[in-house]
Amino acid sequence: MSEPTPMPRSPFARPLAALGPSEAGAGITVMARDGLALATVIGRKGKADDLAERVEALFGIALPAGPRRIAAGRIAFVGAGPGQWLAVADSSADPNALAIRLARDLAGFASVAEQSDSRAVIRLSGPCVRLVLAKGLPIDLHPRAFGPGDAALSAIAQIGVHLWQLDEAPTYEIAAPLSMAGSFADWLIAAGAEYGIARTGSHCEGST
Amino acid sequence: MTGRGQPGRLASGGLVDRSQTLGFRFDGNAMTGHPGDTLASALIANGVVLAGRSFKYHRPRGILTAGSEEPNALVELRTGPRREPNTKATTIELFDGLEARSQNRWPSLGFDVMSVASLLSPVFAAGFYYKTFMWPAGFWERVYEPLIRRAAGLGRASGQPDPDSYETAFAFCDVLVIGAGPTGLMAALTAARAGARVILCDEDFVFGGRLLAEQFTLDGISGADWAVSITAELAQNPGVTLMRRTTVFGAYDHGAFGALERVGDHLPVPAPHTPRQRLWRIVAKRTILAAGAIERHIVFGGNDRPGIMMASAVRACINRFAAAPARRLGVFANNDDGWKTVADCLRAGIAVEAVVDPRPVISETLRTLAAQAGARLFTGATVLDAFGTANGLQAVDIRTSSARIETVSVDGLALSGGWNPSIALTCHLGGRPVWRDDLAAFVAGGTPAGMAIAGAATGAFDLRSCLADGARSGAEAAEAAGFTARAVETPTATEETLGLMPLWSVPGARTKAFVDFQNDVTVKDIEIAEREGFRSVEHLKRYTTLGMATDQGKTANLNGLAIMAALTGRAIPETGTTTFRPPYTPVAIGAFAGHHRGKQFRPTRLTPSHDWAAEQGAPFVETGQWLRAQWFPKPGEADWLASVNREVRAVRSAVGVCDVSTLGKIDIQGVDAGALLDRVYINSFSTLPVGKVRYGAMLREDGIVMDDGTAARLADDHYVMSTTTVNAAKVMQHLEFCHQVLWPELDVQMVSVTEQWAQFSVAGPRARDTLRKLIDPATDISDAALPYMGVTGIVACGGISGRLFRISFSGELAYELAVPARYGDGVIRALVAAGAEYGIVPYGTEALGVMRIEKGHPAGNEINGTATASDLGLGRLMSRKKDFIGRIMAERPGLTDPGRPGLAGFMPVDQAVRLRAGAHFIGLGAPAAARNDEGYMTSVAFSPSLGHWIGLGLIRNGPARHGQRVRAYDPVRGGDIEVEICSPVFVDPEGARLRV
Repeated sequence: MSEPTPMPRSPFARPLAALGPSEAGAGITVMARDGLALATVIGRKGKADDLAERVEALFGIALPAGPRRIAAGRIAFVGAGPGQWLAVADSSADPNALAIRLARDLAGFASVAEQSDSRAVIRLSGPCVRLVLAKGLPIDLHPRAFGPGDAALSAIAQIGVHLWQLDEAPTYEIAAPLSMAGSFADWLIAAGAEYGIARTGSHCEGST
Repeated sequence: MTGRGQPGRLASGGLVDRSQTLGFRFDGNAMTGHPGDTLASALIANGVVLAGRSFKYHRPRGILTAGSEEPNALVELRTGPRREPNTKATTIELFDGLEARSQNRWPSLGFDVMSVASLLSPVFAAGFYYKTFMWPAGFWERVYEPLIRRAAGLGRASGQPDPDSYETAFAFCDVLVIGAGPTGLMAALTAARAGARVILCDEDFVFGGRLLAEQFTLDGISGADWAVSITAELAQNPGVTLMRRTTVFGAYDHGAFGALERVGDHLPVPAPHTPRQRLWRIVAKRTILAAGAIERHIVFGGNDRPGIMMASAVRACINRFAAAPARRLGVFANNDDGWKTVADCLRAGIAVEAVVDPRPVISETLRTLAAQAGARLFTGATVLDAFGTANGLQAVDIRTSSARIETVSVDGLALSGGWNPSIALTCHLGGRPVWRDDLAAFVAGGTPAGMAIAGAATGAFDLRSCLADGARSGAEAAEAAGFTARAVETPTATEETLGLMPLWSVPGARTKAFVDFQNDVTVKDIEIAEREGFRSVEHLKRYTTLGMATDQGKTANLNGLAIMAALTGRAIPETGTTTFRPPYTPVAIGAFAGHHRGKQFRPTRLTPSHDWAAEQGAPFVETGQWLRAQWFPKPGEADWLASVNREVRAVRSAVGVCDVSTLGKIDIQGVDAGALLDRVYINSFSTLPVGKVRYGAMLREDGIVMDDGTAARLADDHYVMSTTTVNAAKVMQHLEFCHQVLWPELDVQMVSVTEQWAQFSVAGPRARDTLRKLIDPATDISDAALPYMGVTGIVACGGISGRLFRISFSGELAYELAVPARYGDGVIRALVAAGAEYGIVPYGTEALGVMRIEKGHPAGNEINGTATASDLGLGRLMSRKKDFIGRIMAERPGLTDPGRPGLAGFMPVDQAVRLRAGAHFIGLGAPAAARNDEGYMTSVAFSPSLGHWIGLGLIRNGPARHGQRVRAYDPVRGGDIEVEICSPVFVDPEGARLRV
């Protein structure tokens, strides 16, 4: 027990290492979102109303019925299918705490599964971000079609992704399977090279 | 042809930039051109008439058209690994340093040895493949086909990896406008002004279509200038995307279109970080097909001679490219449009020797024009034969209205048989063209949902109609997409007339008359097809190859059809229709692949310990998308087998660790979670106590084993299921189907958590000792507290929450430690450090496989889609107290026959001999024939525990035959050895080592 506890390893640490730090003129900037806590929340049968009331009471969030992201404070619920959400919490402390808390607080109304380590989440912004995403995402991101708070389950470069838009800048976050972070980064770097792609640093101080 | 002169370049006019000169080479000869040229126009400006040799007869061929329908001027573009065969000179944008080579000629374009094929042409007529090379059959592959392939064919592929990249991309719009001629420009303008998101595509590198090639005046300015001004307004509109060099090649369901953007084809090398080509999938609410029309030819003798061009192409040369395709031109046209060529030649100072018009009566305007040009006028006349050499046309024989033959000396002939609306995209979803007698052309019989056709593509060939139609269709499309369109004023424009008199083919030609230039199909071929009964258009096509070249017969099909109609005494629509399939023009496979080539062919999944394993020098094996460490070589080990044997021995005597994160993991919760598992597994899980793990197998509906694995019960209403690596997604899909479709009444929630957990198998007599050093002492992991098939939550490495399963695949005391995936790298390092004092080794998939064979566990080789649970020795698991998927079908007589191949172990009688998987079992002394086949060897391994090769296999009545001997016959590798059937469990059959 004398050995120090290992640190979590960012799935993007190696794949994005080749990118330079943010500089003026980059068409797209990327940031690994390593400290996010994620949990799948699936409503129990016949408990949709109870669940919605409980989530509203606990977080002040009206659970979205479709592919939308509703946030309050540091937590958000993103639609992930009928009666299913991905809870996303911005907490660099203990990611596991989210699933444990939700499982306790939503007991009987929802099943909760810890997913913090199942996804590699990346934040994308910059003037050319839509042009870059068009090279992989078969979804219309034009402001008339997709705006802040909208979310989608789709695929980029044959990789299943969960995507949501944060603001009108626009800024997007994309969650991809952790094991495919390298292939996702390969696509992103190839797609973004034309417009200039740079890193804006990592959210997680614990990443290596 | 050297030097820098451009003898065919007109002194003024055109849309080429004479202020800049571009150097290029054709067949090694240095030439020059200007920005705005195509390779074809630059060749014409340089006086080049001969562009290539034809496919079958090696006939000299020139440049026929000015567009993507070109059947003749196909060249190899670029050199080295960038060499691209069969590119159309008419669509290649000239760039400085361009190198092109003519095709299909040897040793040189001017003198081609294979052109003797032309003399042998009776041999090569329609159906010759079917008739000539019938015997002996064995000669086809070895003699005939190689010979024909050498003689026929077009350009050569580079044979080297393509150094450039390709991309795919997605676009969305309210209104997609296909074609940026006058119709498309008006349509896009109207829709864009209404506020719609518009995408305007054109295959050309300049917008304008025929406006660039004709002497049109719109609102008092030239057509080309008008196109520039409209394009400028569109470019200012942020809702408009202009896509030049982009061919919409296919129409697909739900308003989706495939389009190829040639991003870097007009550059020597694509710009940094940009692809050569980009394949777009465009999804449009409404689409306007404004693809224009393609001029059709008239078939006569020698009509493929270099120097004979479509009249529209002659005018494009003169008006757009300022290049003169001839000095003394003849014009052969059955309509007024073709006569425009006379006016344009007159303006450009090109002599028109003769105008041949089959119409007996023409307007006074045309007569005056012919007189002004000083041309001899032949009305009611046809061109019968053309004569010339490889270097060009010399003369044409004209049959006059009084049936006399007059020979006129010309060095070029402009040809117009009228126009065919370009309706290919309306056919891609099954639309059938319909014939219109008034146009003597096929028009679209219908359109895919959301598509409208406008302009010349509808058969409205004159400019005024095109402009009005464009504006109207643009407004309608915008309105249909939810916008309010205001009328856009149509510009005043030049008036046009057509006055077509259909003429498809001139009878009585004395020389070879071509219908399909690219595939060398002649009138005679069609006559043979008719004579031999291949009269249906589908038969005609296949027998003669008419329309089957890469141009899909854009300039050939209708003439061919018309000739067949005349031969059979039917009308054209009775004879058949010409239809089209995607792609409109050929698309490189690389463009479809885009990013996904080489290592990016598909995504790669890396295990949490991947980087660590790579540091250890492990080779990796692909298991589906995953890369898994195969073994961990040590210095001094001779080969992989030495490493694997060492790993197995270490696990059996000390401890080993293996990353098993790739196995599928499904989190299943809800009041009815146990009930669901009872229905999908053959054995019971609702009775499993909390804190316990059970092995289970699941069947397909047809009673065959689908997958196996374990499920652990973490709480009353919470299980975690594991699946095999390969079936992870399939099992998840199966469970979702069962829940959503079969039993929606069950209160069950499930989600894949495969990615969440790094999972390590820690196996061997010292497994517990190793783990004891990492697991928080508050958790008792003794055999009493956590016996075989137990599970518990743990904290590892001083703060990492995880799970510890006491399960074993190796047959040893073993655990699987699960920690959040981001900690996998740290935990594998901690495990190896902790186990060092016990001699821990990492082991890979090979040692994993050896140990499971030693234990007789069925895996993918045995769960092969034909084996039942009973076949695999799992029959005793099948519960009789409950129903489960596959139960009824598994009871079919054929699946319960005791004579079915069942799982058994195999040992070589001579223990020095190696076993081979795939060998078939045959009774001793029985001949090696299929009727004596008793099953086959599914898996083999060298067992370091036993010191010889062992195998698993499925053999008839296997479990009852232990001790018997059979042949393991392996004709593929020449193996034929005697093996003894035995229990499939080779090591520790009592399972004592599991429970210590």
